[in-house]
Amino acid sequence: MWTVPGTGVALPIFPGGYLIGGLLLLNLVFAHLYRFQLTWRKLGIQLAHAGIILLLVGELLTGLLQQDSYLRLDNGETKSYSESQRGMELAILDQTNPAYDEVVAVPESVLAEKGLIQHPKLPFKILIQGYYPNASMQRREQAPGAAPSIATAGIGTQVAVMPLPITYKTDERNLPAVYAEVLGTEGSLGIWLLSPALGMPQTFSYQNRNFQLTLRPTRYYKPFTVQLLKFTHDKYPGTEIPKNFASRVRVKSDDRQTDREVLIFMNNPLRYGGYTFYQAGFDNNDQTSILQVVRNPGWLIPYVSCIMMGLGLCIQFGFHLTGFIRKRSAA
Amino acid sequence: MSLRRFSTQTLVVLLVTLVAGCDDRKITAYRAPKDAVAALPAAATGGPNTNDLPPGHPPIGGTPATAPADPNAPMAGAQLPGGAGLPLVAGDNAIVWTAPAHWIAKPAGSIRKGSYTVPGDGGAAADLSVTAVPGDTGGLFANVNRWRGQVGLAPIAESQLQSSLEHLDANGFHIEIVTLAGPGNSLLGAIVPYNGQTWFFKMAGPAAIITREKAGFVEFLRTVKPAQP
Repeated sequence: MWTVPGTGVALPIFPGGYLIGGLLLLNLVFAHLYRFQLTWRKLGIQLAHAGIILLLVGELLTGLLQQDSYLRLDNGETKSYSESQRGMELAILDQTNPAYDEVVAVPESVLAEKGLIQHPKLPFKILIQGYYPNASMQRREQAPGAAPSIATAGIGTQVAVMPLPITYKTDERNLPAVYAEVLGTEGSLGIWLLSPALGMPQTFSYQNRNFQLTLRPTRYYKPFTVQLLKFTHDKYPGTEIPKNFASRVRVKSDDRQTDREVLIFMNNPLRYGGYTFYQAGFDNNDQTSILQVVRNPGWLIPYVSCIMMGLGLCIQFGFHLTGFIRKRSAA
Repeated sequence: MSLRRFSTQTLVVLLVTLVAGCDDRKITAYRAPKDAVAALPAAATGGPNTNDLPPGHPPIGGTPATAPADPNAPMAGAQLPGGAGLPLVAGDNAIVWTAPAHWIAKPAGSIRKGSYTVPGDGGAAADLSVTAVPGDTGGLFANVNRWRGQVGLAPIAESQLQSSLEHLDANGFHIEIVTLAGPGNSLLGAIVPYNGQTWFFKMAGPAAIITREKAGFVEFLRTVKPAQP
């Protein structure tokens, strides 16, 4: 992106999918409105073009609404949420109730503005004192030259944060770090350093309630749980070449309508509750299975549009064919 | 008529864009089941200046907070609770040990592989932690000086390192033991390299307890062995 000097207007240098697809869509829509006549003879061509328009709109919807996340399960583990691959959130958990947590989740884009965060469910405010989209951590005693920490509570006082440039490499992850100050009605409760690299959440008590602060991959909770019963990783005998990855999982819905076992393997995903679970990877000496979880509300659109296009072309060429046959028989 | 149709379509597309655009900036609130590892009763200790969790932090993972019925039972070195089987180190790296009967087991965690309270007189207590870190974490010299710093002692020179160490050979391990008496707390530390990892056994607390527990600590180290012989 290139920002016009003096303005905040960002213009793309290399056109991307949204621009080209959008222009194509506009062009087709206008062509439809401007050129095509609504006659029976033009039905086929109309239908085929409408199919293409629908396909483009469907792709746009997919691009905007598709949610990709990952479900990491150890053998025997049960989870009711999947996690984003890249997106992070600041989760503030009220853990006072032993049965459940009250969660307030703040997306990273809000943290990046370094503003004051308020929510009706929180008895305090959170002021983001520092935000680094990517940073590495080191124990303070191993980094004698590091700048003094602004954290006043939790593990952050012992950790030196070294900001790193944002990485765009596919095999690297940005590990953000945040300095969050908790402001109660009586004043500041302290500044905590939060990062997924710390490997532990930070806790404090306020007004007799126990809170936990954590910067974690964005979670998507679902109205059902998935338990990994067994992950199998078969190799061709005598080699390290993988033959098959499979996860036997148990899906249990919260309303107790569903409780079944499913085998997920390559090209055989589980479709349930609007989500598709693909076998995506494994970890931990085959003890952990990683499933890709895709939610795409527009998944049917490409099928519908292909049917429309196919039908349209059949009608169009059907008219041509009958016309041609008629001409031949007349001759 | 055609213009109106077009503007309706544009409106729909714009609305979809707006709705989707707002989505990743929204603060959400919901009720969620507790994470399996955080569901254990709170009993962790740890001051702001230890390597542990902050004060009042609930244990992250680990064995049940209450002392096990048989404190002599060997504890697996690399097992998270409930048999969930998320080994932080590969299974063949696991180390097991047998703690003295009077040590009170505390929940381990994602960082601690083992955790004990060593009770002393009049409510005083020392803390024993077992941790494992990949690599040599800077080597013996750096770690001894790190521990010296924790009890308020000045760092030593590398030439003084060997004279400050005791060696113990047990179950195939070569264990380096260091005893540090600082102005406030004292510390007993043991470093065990094993399978590309470094295991740290550290007891820190009041000098009286540390002095009394020295022999017990060494006996404890003699029980340290690989989980799979």
